[in-house]
Amino acid sequence: MSNATRNRIDGADSTAGDLLSRGVLATSVVVFFAAWTLLLQWVDETAAVGGVSALKLLGVGLVVVGVGLVVVGVGSRLGYVDTAPSKTAGVPVGVVFGLLWAAVGGLLGTLALGNAAVLWLPVAALFGLAGFLASVLPREDVGATVPGAVVLLLLGGFVAAGGVNAGWTWAPAWSSAVFPGSELVPILVVFATLLGAWCAGKANEGFGAEGRQAGAYYLVGAVVFAMLGVLALLVGFIVTNGLATMLTRASLAGGELTVPLVGVELPWPEFPFLTNPTGGLFVEVPGVLPAIIGTLWLVFGAVLFAVPLGIGAAVFLTEYAERGRLTQVVEVATNGLWSTPSIVFGLFGLAFLVPRISGGNAIFVGQLVLGFMLLPLVLITSREAILAVPDAHRDASAALGVTKWQTIRSVVLPAAMPGTITGVILGVGRIAGETAPLLLVFGGPPYPSTTPNVLGSFELTAQPPFVTNEALLSPASALPYQLYATITAGVFPKEIFTDTQFGWGTALVLLLVVVGLYAVGVGSRLYFRRKLHHE
Amino acid sequence: MTSRRPSVQDVPTDLRAAASRRAAAAKRWVRDYRSRTADGAVAMHVVVFTSVLATFGAFFAGSQWTVVPFLAFLASIGVGWVKYQAEAAKALTLLTTVATVAILALVVSFLVYESLPAIRARGLDLFTQVRNPAIDDPELGEGLWNRGDVWSLTPMMLGTAITTVIATVVAAPVGIAGAVFVSEIAPRRVREVVKPGIELMAGIPSITYGFVGLTILNQYFYAEFSTPTIGTYFAAGLMIGIMALPTVVTVAEDALNAVPESIKSGALAMGSTPWQTTKSVTIPAGLSGVSAGVLLGVGRAMGETMAATVMLTHTKGFPSPVFDVFSGYGETLTTVIAFEAGNASGLHKNVLFAAGACCS
Amino acid sequence: MSETDTVDGTDQRVTTTGETSERVREAWSDYEFAGDAKLVVDDLDVYYGDERALQGVSLDVPDESVTALIGPSGCGKSTFLRCLNRMNDRIDSARVEGSVTLDGEEVYSDGVNLVELRKRIGMVFQEPNPFPKSIRDNISYGPRKHGDLDTGLLARLLGRDDTDDEEALVERVLRRAALWDEVKDRLDDNALGLSGGQQQRLCIARALAVDPDVILMDEPASALDPIATAKIEDLIEELAEDYTVVVVTHNMQQAARISDQTAVFLTGGELVEYGDTDQIFENPESQRVEDYITGKFG
Repeated sequence: MSNATRNRIDGADSTAGDLLSRGVLATSVVVFFAAWTLLLQWVDETAAVGGVSALKLLGVGLVVVGVGLVVVGVGSRLGYVDTAPSKTAGVPVGVVFGLLWAAVGGLLGTLALGNAAVLWLPVAALFGLAGFLASVLPREDVGATVPGAVVLLLLGGFVAAGGVNAGWTWAPAWSSAVFPGSELVPILVVFATLLGAWCAGKANEGFGAEGRQAGAYYLVGAVVFAMLGVLALLVGFIVTNGLATMLTRASLAGGELTVPLVGVELPWPEFPFLTNPTGGLFVEVPGVLPAIIGTLWLVFGAVLFAVPLGIGAAVFLTEYAERGRLTQVVEVATNGLWSTPSIVFGLFGLAFLVPRISGGNAIFVGQLVLGFMLLPLVLITSREAILAVPDAHRDASAALGVTKWQTIRSVVLPAAMPGTITGVILGVGRIAGETAPLLLVFGGPPYPSTTPNVLGSFELTAQPPFVTNEALLSPASALPYQLYATITAGVFPKEIFTDTQFGWGTALVLLLVVVGLYAVGVGSRLYFRRKLHHE
Repeated sequence: MTSRRPSVQDVPTDLRAAASRRAAAAKRWVRDYRSRTADGAVAMHVVVFTSVLATFGAFFAGSQWTVVPFLAFLASIGVGWVKYQAEAAKALTLLTTVATVAILALVVSFLVYESLPAIRARGLDLFTQVRNPAIDDPELGEGLWNRGDVWSLTPMMLGTAITTVIATVVAAPVGIAGAVFVSEIAPRRVREVVKPGIELMAGIPSITYGFVGLTILNQYFYAEFSTPTIGTYFAAGLMIGIMALPTVVTVAEDALNAVPESIKSGALAMGSTPWQTTKSVTIPAGLSGVSAGVLLGVGRAMGETMAATVMLTHTKGFPSPVFDVFSGYGETLTTVIAFEAGNASGLHKNVLFAAGACCS
Repeated sequence: MSETDTVDGTDQRVTTTGETSERVREAWSDYEFAGDAKLVVDDLDVYYGDERALQGVSLDVPDESVTALIGPSGCGKSTFLRCLNRMNDRIDSARVEGSVTLDGEEVYSDGVNLVELRKRIGMVFQEPNPFPKSIRDNISYGPRKHGDLDTGLLARLLGRDDTDDEEALVERVLRRAALWDEVKDRLDDNALGLSGGQQQRLCIARALAVDPDVILMDEPASALDPIATAKIEDLIEELAEDYTVVVVTHNMQQAARISDQTAVFLTGGELVEYGDTDQIFENPESQRVEDYITGKFG
């Protein structure tokens, strides 16, 4: 082919350009993190380093990045730096830079001509077009750096020159919120440094396909890092805030355990937050015991209801039913159940189950409703697990003259057990944290002083239904419900905690329970998958 | 094969033929069943199915005698298990399958049944009314909820749309970047840590996200951005987007992973860089799965009502302009149910059921 | 099983395969040919984790010819092929030692640009793997990614439109791959709608579109029916006029039909014999190669 290029396969790197683009990259990263520390308020925005305010420093950082990018891009174009740029930076780059230029143009237009769309819109469009053309017309090394650098220089210069200080505010007419410079600048800087890292990443690998890959990887890496950081912060917040509450007056040997029959008292770990009721007159350290017990009963009942139903249906669908209309209907039904918002189950429980079972909020109704939510997950996972059992096992068993049901019971189900158990654990993790339906069919007083006594409340009666259980038909508390109740009830009745403190503690216990269940589920899935692959 | 267009005269004969085929098949099935099944097992099947039907009937009617047919069911299945285990097991699995379908049918039919009065009373206005003529205040959206007999879900539909859009804008790019990172870029060791970690994140209950959002995000926007209320669509949408991230990453990563390795190798062997391969081959090939991940993640997060319920203000109305995501209004279809259904009655309750039917 | 010892000052290995035990002589794989070598492989070792997949392979591939690699399954011939364009880099546990040079340039040095390398050394896989795109896009994928083709609205506006070049390229490589007449009316259809044999020829055409010097083929016909296989074989012989083709096959008749020289790998990732195809098939030096070729094991 005539226009194919023949390059040496081992291209040498130029050290000067490499060093410069690496410097730009490093500056972007530093400024990126600096902006985050301001946003997260780890550093106060009025703080000053060497007499220069933090905001101005961010601006200076952006200017440095911008200048560096221009030098790298132009240097490469003039041949001082050895690079392998493409003919053009490409349409996506053009669109990004065009949009940025349009934003700059819009702002300048508003400043110069006033706030009427007729006036600033053409200016914005003109700037956008200019930015687009400036990116796609020149060779990649200029097109992919200079137009972006101009935006960085404008923003950085404006901030560094003191155009924005911590007290500056922007109150656009379309928004009820007022944007202060102290927050707006770090937010813009975060995005601007991402832009800078993208461009510098490309330059660092000498542009071309390799350069675009490097730029994209820096961008993806930064986004993923931010995502993991936010998720980690979230968990960190709960743990740090909740730990103090959870460990209030806790000690490893402060409690006493009376050994039955002998009567000797032994030291015993004490966890008042986990072992005390929430309300009650003589409770010094309120705890979440009623909620823990309530969650246990809820989960127990839901599992008892959903697991036999789900596994039974999965067995019928995979082993007995022929593929046809019935299996299709069931598939639609399970997917429907799976994607229904949980609050709808609560509504159903409220309208259908409550009047027929208890006449009010009750543990039993909560169990059934959560069971409905667990059912599709159990069905789907156990069906997949049963389908994964090779037909050879079934054929081998049948060839030995074993009946179908015996084959299912002694060959298929044991082989499918790991997958099913994993599914059940994950499902339990999900329903243990479920709150919305509980508000409608389950929840009791916000600060219960007793735990539900389900086991001790069974009574035989002469009237139908012959067996009653008062506790099962009464409202109770559960961990997620307790958290909601604490949030909405407002003032906490005990002096030792504020409601927020109590909420953090409850959130931590809930998190431990649910994430613990998930960890077991995810771990067992990994374990079984690995075992399967080794065999 | 030549196909013949069915004419009008053919229909009855076709129907009759189909019906007789059905009847013959049914007859064959009954004969098969009778010849294969012992008399006792047949009797057990009859008793079991009758007692289950009776149990459900009694429960539906709200009778206190529900327990009697239920005990009959337990007794018959117990006897059956001992004497005809295979037949009893098959009957039980069939029953569980039917029960699963029946539960969904019940949920759907009750939702529709309970929301009918609201639709009968309000007509299409329930979903379209944007102004209450009885209120002098010309501001759109005021007085659309529980003012006289005016109930309109329009503000909540708008609120749902706004929060969904914000959540998608947050979750889609970040989630897809995360999926690309885990599936295509990360070295194996990093992947083995990050992937289970993100799956764990998917388990954090929505109420916990809501609590963090309430105590941190809402306060932050109120203090720094002077929002009119503590709690805005923006903060709630942001939190829902973060909440959706783990699901989006997990599902989209599975989709990218499912693109055959041979296609990726083919692109690499042509000298395209890994990033070009990801961008031009892997993502287009896995696009349906990736977009399904975004939809599923955001949908699931919206369905997990609690974060929004805790964070929003529950003031119903239209922000002005519509995209003012920092306004004092805040209510979605699911949050209004969670917040109000506990002590609603009459038409109010029916309207909430209509909201439930709307969002499922 | 192998061990190395020194006899008479020459490096020899004693290896047992099947029932025959013999010393592998380096001379068996010394192949003299006229002209320059395109690829020179010197003492190549490959390990997967602790497992040694190739041991001490040295061979020179002459320019513009067909070289067949044959041997029983698991003998390392595919591994060897994937070393030539560094596709083994994709496998985390794989470790390569030794040297491969393409026109005198080292493939395994640090600064190697994999993009340039793989532009020069194309590859066709065992299973046809066209992209789930149109036939035209499959062909133009490579040149587009390497910046040699530029089409679309923007390119047209800027006067850089290569649509005509693309048309010409698609026709040229499809003709070269003997596929043009079958697909010329449906260039915009999805390539996955083609038959297996057509898909494989499309993959060959796709590799030709980036204008490589060397084409590696990993059992390119093993997933195809006899008629499609015959077409692929004819194509390989034609390609040898302009390209250096290295083809792995487990089909010895195929190797005898299409190749100019043949390398025989036997168990343990060892190159036993390499030389002129006629000579290898009619009068091999190694007893084990003879056993293998006559079907006594393998």
